[in-house]
Amino acid sequence: MLEVRNLTKIFPNGTVALRDVSFTVAEGEFLAVIGLSGSGKSTLLRCINRLIEPTSGQVIWNGIDITAASPRELRRIRRQIGMIFQQFNLVRRSSVLTNVLSGRLGYANPWMSLFHYFPPEDHQRALTALERVGIADKVHSRADQLSGGQQQRVGIARALMQEPKLILADEPVASLDPVLAHSILQYLEQLNREEGITVICSLHFLDLVHRYATRVIGLKDGRLVFEGHPKELTRERFKEVYGEEAEMVTVGGISL
Amino acid sequence: MSHPKEHSGNNPLQQWSPLFSLVVPGLGQILQGQRSRGLGLLATVLALGGLILWQGVPLLFVPLAAVWLWGVWDAARALRNRPSGTVAPFLLAAFIAYALGVRATEMDFRRLLTGWPAIRPIVRALVRPELLEYPKESHIGYLPFQVPCIDPLPPPQGRASEQPRLSTDVPCAALGETITLDGEGFLPGLDVEIWWQNPIGDYQRVLKDGVPLVVPADSEGRFRVTIQVPPTSVPLDRRPGPGETQTHRIEARQYRPYGSLQPTETLRLVLQKIGETIALAFIATVLATVFALPVSFLAARNLMGGHPVGLAVYYGVRTILNIVRSIETLMWAIIFAVWVGLGPFDGTLALLLHSIAALGKLYSEAIEGIDPGPIEAVRATGANWAQTVVYAVIPQFMPSFLAFTLYRWDINLRMSTVIGLVSNAGLGFLIIQWIRLSRYNSMATAIIAIVLVVALLDYASAALRERIIAGTAGGPKRGALRRYGVPAVAVALFLALFAWSWRVAEIDLPALVEGAPAGLRITRAFLFPDLLTRPTEEVRIAAPLVVPCGAAPEPGASAPAEGPRVALSLSCGAPGDPLVITGEGLPPNADVSVRWRLPDGGFLRVKENCCRTDGAGNLRLETRVHPLMEVKEGAVGEVEISWKRVVGGYRPSEALIITVNLSLVTLLMALMATTLGSVFAIPLSFLGASNVMGRGPVGRAVYFTARTVFNLWRSVEPMILAVICASWVGLGPFAGVLALALNNIPNLAKLFSEAIEEIDPGPVEAVTATGANPLQVLVYAVLPQLVPRFLAYILYQWDINIRMSTVIGFVGGGGIGQQFRVWVGLDQYAAAGTATWAIVAMVWGMDYVSAKARERLI
Repeated sequence: MLEVRNLTKIFPNGTVALRDVSFTVAEGEFLAVIGLSGSGKSTLLRCINRLIEPTSGQVIWNGIDITAASPRELRRIRRQIGMIFQQFNLVRRSSVLTNVLSGRLGYANPWMSLFHYFPPEDHQRALTALERVGIADKVHSRADQLSGGQQQRVGIARALMQEPKLILADEPVASLDPVLAHSILQYLEQLNREEGITVICSLHFLDLVHRYATRVIGLKDGRLVFEGHPKELTRERFKEVYGEEAEMVTVGGISL
Repeated sequence: MSHPKEHSGNNPLQQWSPLFSLVVPGLGQILQGQRSRGLGLLATVLALGGLILWQGVPLLFVPLAAVWLWGVWDAARALRNRPSGTVAPFLLAAFIAYALGVRATEMDFRRLLTGWPAIRPIVRALVRPELLEYPKESHIGYLPFQVPCIDPLPPPQGRASEQPRLSTDVPCAALGETITLDGEGFLPGLDVEIWWQNPIGDYQRVLKDGVPLVVPADSEGRFRVTIQVPPTSVPLDRRPGPGETQTHRIEARQYRPYGSLQPTETLRLVLQKIGETIALAFIATVLATVFALPVSFLAARNLMGGHPVGLAVYYGVRTILNIVRSIETLMWAIIFAVWVGLGPFDGTLALLLHSIAALGKLYSEAIEGIDPGPIEAVRATGANWAQTVVYAVIPQFMPSFLAFTLYRWDINLRMSTVIGLVSNAGLGFLIIQWIRLSRYNSMATAIIAIVLVVALLDYASAALRERIIAGTAGGPKRGALRRYGVPAVAVALFLALFAWSWRVAEIDLPALVEGAPAGLRITRAFLFPDLLTRPTEEVRIAAPLVVPCGAAPEPGASAPAEGPRVALSLSCGAPGDPLVITGEGLPPNADVSVRWRLPDGGFLRVKENCCRTDGAGNLRLETRVHPLMEVKEGAVGEVEISWKRVVGGYRPSEALIITVNLSLVTLLMALMATTLGSVFAIPLSFLGASNVMGRGPVGRAVYFTARTVFNLWRSVEPMILAVICASWVGLGPFAGVLALALNNIPNLAKLFSEAIEEIDPGPVEAVTATGANPLQVLVYAVLPQLVPRFLAYILYQWDINIRMSTVIGFVGGGGIGQQFRVWVGLDQYAAAGTATWAIVAMVWGMDYVSAKARERLI
């Protein structure tokens, strides 16, 4: 379904973020991406929906070459790919409703949307999405009045508005405490299992990988160094990915 | 936007709320619990309606009605729990406000074009300041010339030069006539300037087609040129009477440079005035610090709050500080000029008073911010009061004290560069003087000097502030020289600078005492401003007096039986006969005027410094019949008593009406200037935002250029821009708006650039990832981040503009300031007091409004 071929990204300052990375993701998978900070996880996710332009290589999704898409085609593709961020990336001063509705921008009438007009069914869809993540009562609050966990749920609701076939999650729980982390990942798991949405999620914690992922890839210095089932990711393999000096540490029941 | 807390159709009042909104705008919203929305709507409709009536533009009631109806619609929608956006009514209200603003501030952008020729030489001069020049030897020929011609022509006063020599084809001419001027014996090949000196002694350049006339001497040192006798060379009130003539003088001047380059006279004057400017700022800041410290103790709540008397003092001092602070320094300079006369001392006093008020408030806030914890701790160690102050109070107070003092020194230096625009001190005075003399190149030199001084000082004090914040920790001080030597030199330098500043600022304490009567008079007038008057009408009663007896038939007694009467002891008499004038039924204890109404129609007072009625309304005056009362051509003279009678109740005085009118104009000036400034600043600000311009070489270059231009441009004080704008578009509010807007553009552009640089890229990324197009990303991810900060900065600028627009009229920028200066000039201090109080009220009111608005934004 999603095929990444020989993806390479070199930033203008010379940093090589991705070196010749290739892998495929089947429909309905929950793919975890692991690796040290700076190993290229975020760059990889952003190259898939071209928030970052890859230097070379291809990303092919359902037979369409995303890397060759025109700006118009790219927007059509993007609207089917939801994205969730470590820092939630909500517009802090806008209401929850506006933030969630903004997930519908790729579908909305481009001119009417400039005046904040969305059709009633989009409003209904937004309420449903918020109910689904359990914060329907916050619909008129300002985003910055919400706690971190609530903000990330708004982020998920925003992604749901896109009726996505694929969700890219860039360390969605790295800014949250362990309990919240589980609840957020459970939402993603639910979407993955019940609606068959493919999820590509970068994660830091080994036990979260074991618990939620159906497959894992590991990045080190921009290279693909591991690909396999979470069970294959033993402590030894984990050290390969995270470097020799990495020790398994346990924080609050979660091991790194 | 607020939303109805709870939708309930039960309350019948709420059901009808749209109807209530139709009757009183906003009432329906208030009934539905949306208090701030309702009150806002009501205030908007009332304020705009009032402004429309004031400007008399009934057509604008149409959009106002639309705002009103929107309120009805909004109340109806809110009933069904569907809140509506406020963009439409906001745009309508803004349209009305700007339409009125354009009218009231006399904005006419065509004047930018038509006035261009007037300031082209000024703009051109800005790139050609007068810095260095060669000393010149002058070669001057002169010739007396008589205007106008009379017959016979008397010999001219004064003589002509021999070498070089001038001659004219005629010995005399009328103003405006053309004559031919010949010169010989001039320096060959060198340009000759033709000057005209009028009989009063004033010089002016002879113009040809509007430009000063210059004619080259030929290789033998001769020239011939036709010139026009300057039509305006003699003021109307100095022109000769019929049959008289006046001697003028024509001068032909050549200048030949020699020797080496030297600073121009302009540069020397500018340098000297820079010294004066710095001295003024220095002495005002130092003295203000000294005075503000004790004042700040009285204005600190934690020191004064314990006791009712203390609290009363606290509130009293705070109020006075706030009043003094809301009157701009330049205004104080005008007020003090009445007291001590124009000059550096006047400027120093103005800077000093305003600084005391500002620093008093800032210091008191620093005192209020002192943490009691360390004081307790030091006291607990057994330290005495003085030790506690040294070890626990001063270390806490010192950083803010230094920062605030430095900040004030910045402001004072900026102010002292422009205080000369109204007083007679510092660089500003040179500017106002030179623009009147059309010495644009000299003026440009002074303007450039101001910009450089302010920009340099900004840089220096920013560096100094950084050092204060970082703290000069400094290791252990070694050696007696460093320990005592450095502070000793610093103190000596400070004392020397202080003594020099004292002298330059012409501190003249006796002048304070000598001017005290004027000072008292103006103070009293300011405390009792001219607010209300009662209209009066003059009541006259009269009795006829035939002089001498029999010259005319005596008119029968026509005095009414009731009411005021005037009675004479004689009905006829000869000039000089004793006469008793009595008045009855007049207003008691009132000043009345008793006059002869002469037969030829004229009036004469019967007695000087007269007359006042007694408690019963009677008057008795002994005099003699005036000789001019003799009957003339059958007309009989009368004796008249007249007084002023109050009709009707109190009504606003003329000064109050003018003040209110001009206060509104001033507010609108600030509004228009803020808007214009913002509109131009927004696109420019993107050039000064490093994240927008990128890291490419072109982007970096644009970024640095933009930032440098903003900073230099910001250093041009709005008052100086106003001087230039007044010659561009003419005196009046438009010039003020233009000057403020020109000053706001770089100010706001810099602030906006910083806001743009601080945009969080996360939401931009997130919205892009949903498949939104670039415009949608702008609307949903960028603008929500920018708009509130931009608005906050615009409000901040609006606050400053309100203050500036009250004084920009001093140099021709219109508004209340212009009228204030006129009133002070005419000694109408009570009227000036009215204007002052209006300014205080306006500054306070707008401070409050914008503080509230900013609170809601953040």
